[in-house]
Amino acid sequence: MSVANNKDVIICEGVKKWFGDFQALKGVNATVKEQEVVVVIGPSGSGKSTFIRCINRLEAHQEGTIIVDGIELTNDVRNIDKIRSEVGMVFQQFNLFPHLTILDNIALAPLWVRKQPRGEVEEEAMALLERVGIPEQADKFPGQLSGGQQQRVAIARALAMKPKIMLFDEPTSALDPEMIKEVLDVMKELARSGMTMIVVTHEMGFAREVADRVLFFDYGLVVEEGTPDHFFENPQHDRTKLFLSQIL
Amino acid sequence: MVLLFFKILGGEASKNFARSDISFGFGWLGDPPGFSIREGIDLQPNSGIRALAVGGLNTLRVAFSGIVAATLLGTVIGVARLSKNFIVSKLASFYIETIRNVPLLLQMFFWQVLLQSRSSLTEESVGTKLFDVSNKGIASTWVFPSTGFWPWLLIMIGGYYLARKVARTRRKYQEDTGEDGHPGLFGFLTILGVAIVGWFVHPLLSFLSILWDGIGNLIGAVPAASVSLLIAGLAVAVAAIWIKRFLDTKRTPAGLGKLTDDDIFRMIFAGVSALVIVWIAFKVGGAIINKPDGTDASVAAVLRDGLANIFYWFGDKFTGEAGSPLAISRPVVEVRGTGGFIQYGTTGILATVAFASVWIAVTLYTAAFIAEIIRGGILAVAKGQTEASQALGLRRSQYLRLIVLPQAFRIILPPLGNQYLNLAKNTSLGTALAFGEIVAVGSTLMNQTGQSLPIVLVWMAFYLTLSLSLSGVVNYYNRRMALVER
Amino acid sequence: MTDHLAPLDLAELAPEKPPSGPVLWIKENLASTWISAVLSVLAIGFAAWGFRGAVLWLFAPDRRWDAVIANMKLLSVHSYPEAQLARVWLSVGIVFVLIAALLAWNRVGGKVAPRQLSKVLLTVGIALLAVGILMPPGAEKWETLGNRMLWLVGGVVLAGIGAVLTRLPDSRRKAETVPIMGVVGVALLGIITFLQTATMAFPIPGSPAPENAADRIFEATPIAKSTANPWTAIIVFAVLTFVVMSWFRSRTEGEGAGVRRLLVSLIVASFPIIVLAILRDPAINPETLQKFVVTGIIFAVAGAAAMYWFGAQEAGESRRAVASIVTLVAFIVLVFPGILPLPSSITPFTEPFLFRLLLLAFALFALAAPTFGGAGAALHRYVAGWVGTAVIITYAIILITTESTVDVPGNFFLGGLGLTFVLSITAITLSFPLGVLLALGRTSSMPLFRMMSTAYIELVRGVPLITWLIVAFVMLPVTLPEGIELSGVMRALIFMTLFSAAYLAENVRGGLQSIGKGQAEAAQALGLSTLQMTVFITLPQALRAVIPALVGQVIAIFKDTSLVTIVGLFDFLHIARSAINQQSQPYNFVGVFLEPLLFAAAVYWIFTFTVSRMSLRLEKKLGVGER
Repeated sequence: MSVANNKDVIICEGVKKWFGDFQALKGVNATVKEQEVVVVIGPSGSGKSTFIRCINRLEAHQEGTIIVDGIELTNDVRNIDKIRSEVGMVFQQFNLFPHLTILDNIALAPLWVRKQPRGEVEEEAMALLERVGIPEQADKFPGQLSGGQQQRVAIARALAMKPKIMLFDEPTSALDPEMIKEVLDVMKELARSGMTMIVVTHEMGFAREVADRVLFFDYGLVVEEGTPDHFFENPQHDRTKLFLSQIL
Repeated sequence: MVLLFFKILGGEASKNFARSDISFGFGWLGDPPGFSIREGIDLQPNSGIRALAVGGLNTLRVAFSGIVAATLLGTVIGVARLSKNFIVSKLASFYIETIRNVPLLLQMFFWQVLLQSRSSLTEESVGTKLFDVSNKGIASTWVFPSTGFWPWLLIMIGGYYLARKVARTRRKYQEDTGEDGHPGLFGFLTILGVAIVGWFVHPLLSFLSILWDGIGNLIGAVPAASVSLLIAGLAVAVAAIWIKRFLDTKRTPAGLGKLTDDDIFRMIFAGVSALVIVWIAFKVGGAIINKPDGTDASVAAVLRDGLANIFYWFGDKFTGEAGSPLAISRPVVEVRGTGGFIQYGTTGILATVAFASVWIAVTLYTAAFIAEIIRGGILAVAKGQTEASQALGLRRSQYLRLIVLPQAFRIILPPLGNQYLNLAKNTSLGTALAFGEIVAVGSTLMNQTGQSLPIVLVWMAFYLTLSLSLSGVVNYYNRRMALVER
Repeated sequence: MTDHLAPLDLAELAPEKPPSGPVLWIKENLASTWISAVLSVLAIGFAAWGFRGAVLWLFAPDRRWDAVIANMKLLSVHSYPEAQLARVWLSVGIVFVLIAALLAWNRVGGKVAPRQLSKVLLTVGIALLAVGILMPPGAEKWETLGNRMLWLVGGVVLAGIGAVLTRLPDSRRKAETVPIMGVVGVALLGIITFLQTATMAFPIPGSPAPENAADRIFEATPIAKSTANPWTAIIVFAVLTFVVMSWFRSRTEGEGAGVRRLLVSLIVASFPIIVLAILRDPAINPETLQKFVVTGIIFAVAGAAAMYWFGAQEAGESRRAVASIVTLVAFIVLVFPGILPLPSSITPFTEPFLFRLLLLAFALFALAAPTFGGAGAALHRYVAGWVGTAVIITYAIILITTESTVDVPGNFFLGGLGLTFVLSITAITLSFPLGVLLALGRTSSMPLFRMMSTAYIELVRGVPLITWLIVAFVMLPVTLPEGIELSGVMRALIFMTLFSAAYLAENVRGGLQSIGKGQAEAAQALGLSTLQMTVFITLPQALRAVIPALVGQVIAIFKDTSLVTIVGLFDFLHIARSAINQQSQPYNFVGVFLEPLLFAAAVYWIFTFTVSRMSLRLEKKLGVGER
């Protein structure tokens, strides 16, 4: 499976971002190709979450350019709406809507954003629940599910919009160890199906097994990048070596 | 020890009562109070209970209109304070910090002074107005029910249900086909159509007047004793069902859960209330309610006749006369009497200076607190909810309506109910402005009759009923809104 | 991160400055969308219109501010005799000096960055400038306050300093270098200068009010020395105290908790002393004094001895039972003096009311002795506590039962803002312990206490405060035992206390319920009794958790004292609303309503706003609400 010749779907050039006086991103350059799975790792506070949140403009970057699927991210609301409906996102804290049933959580966006008929939407939602392995929970509320199940619902919810790109922001960090596997399995299946994915994670096993490329973030910069083999076996940068020695 | 204390204190009190020639009782409820009230449904009440009713209604009038206005204003200011726009949010903060740090009573005085310093009505101001403010109060144009309003209202109720049905059909169409069915628009058009048609055809419903009169006759023919029995039976049944349901909610699979004192207290309260109603239904009669014509009547008979009268009254409204159900009425400034006394006429709606001052003050004051509650509620909805909605591509208006508000509402509701109650209680400060609400009327009665304890009991009953009904509404919505948790 | 980090690309890693500037700020904060831009224009227009209107109104020559200026004394203390005003100044001075000492000891102040200071200075300066520019013609009638030049110059100076500070090099601008207390000191100096040099527009006595209020003739009068000098002295003393205490503090090692506790207790104790001893000035009669002192000494000494017996470590249930019986007897004796008259053999030497009160206090102390007494030092401290309490009670009763020398019409010596403060501070302090007891009662496991507390709280909260005040003024006189009469202020005080206790109780209950079971279990595991657990473990945590709600309640009580206006007490609001506009001699202020009311609103606002801001600070400091 090679993606080297696919076209670029995400291009970031010199992306800078400040929170007040604190500079979170100091000029990030990165590209992601179609069907590529990119894993982003790095110590906490290194800017990796800020980076992927800039890609669907949950955070607005202040300098540099981000181009997603040929559309440049600017303050233009129409561009943002278009990109957001093509980029799905899964959060660390699941962020399911607690007042809606599981089925309604998944059906919400297709109904209101894509304006699809309800019957069709519910059928697709059930199919997605089958895919993540919990069709029997459709009529329950998020509060009644375990963390792992909630995160799988969150993935299904993001997939319901039929996105071209999926962003994962530490999807397993808030889970108990025994639930991590069920979520990772869903993500692996998704990667095999050819989805373009950017995954911020601390799961090195997942990175080795699934990733096409690994980005290492620190100090708001991409310090090093490479294929998993290259990256884990033969890191170039001192900072990367130190990080890997601490985490592995 | 404490009981002993109360016993001796009570004994002391009754001794003192005896000394000061006051006997504890409710006879004053029927006696003419000997004073007039400046505004309300009856300016010359002929009995104590009637005077209190006028005061109570005045309280409710300010409280409910104030609650509606304060909620609207508070929501706007609360949202404005959250605005990203620097100057808008600063203005909202300024409003909140100014209003809530100044005593409410002072604010009432302020509005009173401001209104009283308006120019008085003069010869030049005589005429029909749209809206007018003077030192006599605020007069405004208003819409009143007119000929055929009640039949029209009946048609409108039917129209409401029809509109709901139409909207539901359209929504189903939208969900089935994916095309926009405009359910809201269709519903609105339906009710508009019914209103317009009803406007002209309402005289056709005149035949219903026979029905209403018939029901009235039927009720009037029921003997008073069986009404008493019915009321008593209903009270006991309601209390019993309530207690049973209450116990059911406390029942766990392992049997009846542990009851707290509050629970027992509530059940005892329910039982006692039922017994009090039974006692009133059978026992209370002429001693309390002297009818204006001097005849005595039991509570049951009064209730029966009252209910029958409602139907007779209703029957009278179905005359079949054609005409517009709603009438726009504009205030008039006119010269009244021979002395050339210039006043507002009876048309339009008039808020006296006292009413307007109390209303403005409690509305602005409560709005400041409601704004803080709304802001807190919206902030309490986790940021992740907004982000998740944005990531799904929902628009701002969509996620506010579908995600943020339903969740914020849950958090906002209990403190909001508290503020409503505070507003209702705060209207009692109107007594300082001689606004005829229940505390002002009650304290005047106190001075006239010396019956302080019974009047305090009436106050308590009034505010207790008010707070129970408000918290009932809040609890109902709260239960509907509750999240299902594991 | 770790310190053995490889130094990589340092040039690239140095953080850059974020894009900034006024244009960007406006774009982000005022015009992020076009709707926002429209809103901004509207809001700025509205604010400017309101500000202009306010300035034009406030400085208009036909305003009746003379009604406020001429009635400052009436508003502050009502009819407190001129000759005894020194007592009021002494009281204010004591409060200021004690607070300054506490602030210094707590090292309040610290330093602030010039950048923050410059923001404040710029805002204030521009506001002053705007006032100076917008001031209506004829404002010079108001003398110093209406002097356009002063406003303009002040505005230019403040804004200028602010602007200069923004020009500092970045590193110095962000470093926290400006001492806050220095800024406060400059402000106080400004106030003193104002007091000593400003002139006020004072109406000419006896001059008839002209038809047009704008035509009134004023005299340019300096602020009376009898006002300016005491204030100057108070400020100077407070500043000196602050400086001296700061110096001592800088030489003290460690927490200095002992001195802090002393200062706090002095502040707490100063209130009753100020009200009862200084302001009220009791005329103590040496003959009756003897009786009080003898009673007090006997109770202090004999009680101390008995306390050793009650609190001894080997004390069993039997001694507690004795204490319970004494409590019951003392209670009945106090509340129903007719049932158990004191034996005639001791009446010549004792003061009966003081005797009864001390008996009850003694009984309660004896009842709690096994809980707080115990071994050696603790017991000694407890007994010392009893002696102190006996002395304080004796002293307080001596003060209360003695006639006041302050000769005022009506039956209370203080009115105006003074009365508002006395009412609110007393109601807050007295309702606090009562509220805590009620909250404990409502959460206790004993059904009788719980039922009674619940019933009390719900009953009191069920109806508005004003109904209770009306009850206090109509019903209370009838229900009291013969012979006891209460002044209006006392009645209002009692009912305000009882009322706010119910509300405080609900706040405290919230705190008690928020404390996890683990705390109670841990305390029980350590072998603490229920009372000890409550006093040492549960209650402190509960109170800390509800500080915001408690401060809210304090503010509510302060605002609610204005309700005594309705039942005819001469508090601050009453004077502002209906005393001033009835004056026709020596000045004619009939019909002046709005100006005194607005002045009162401003005064209430300053106090409530300050308290709420202080509570925000405290909340942040204690980390309340953060998990």
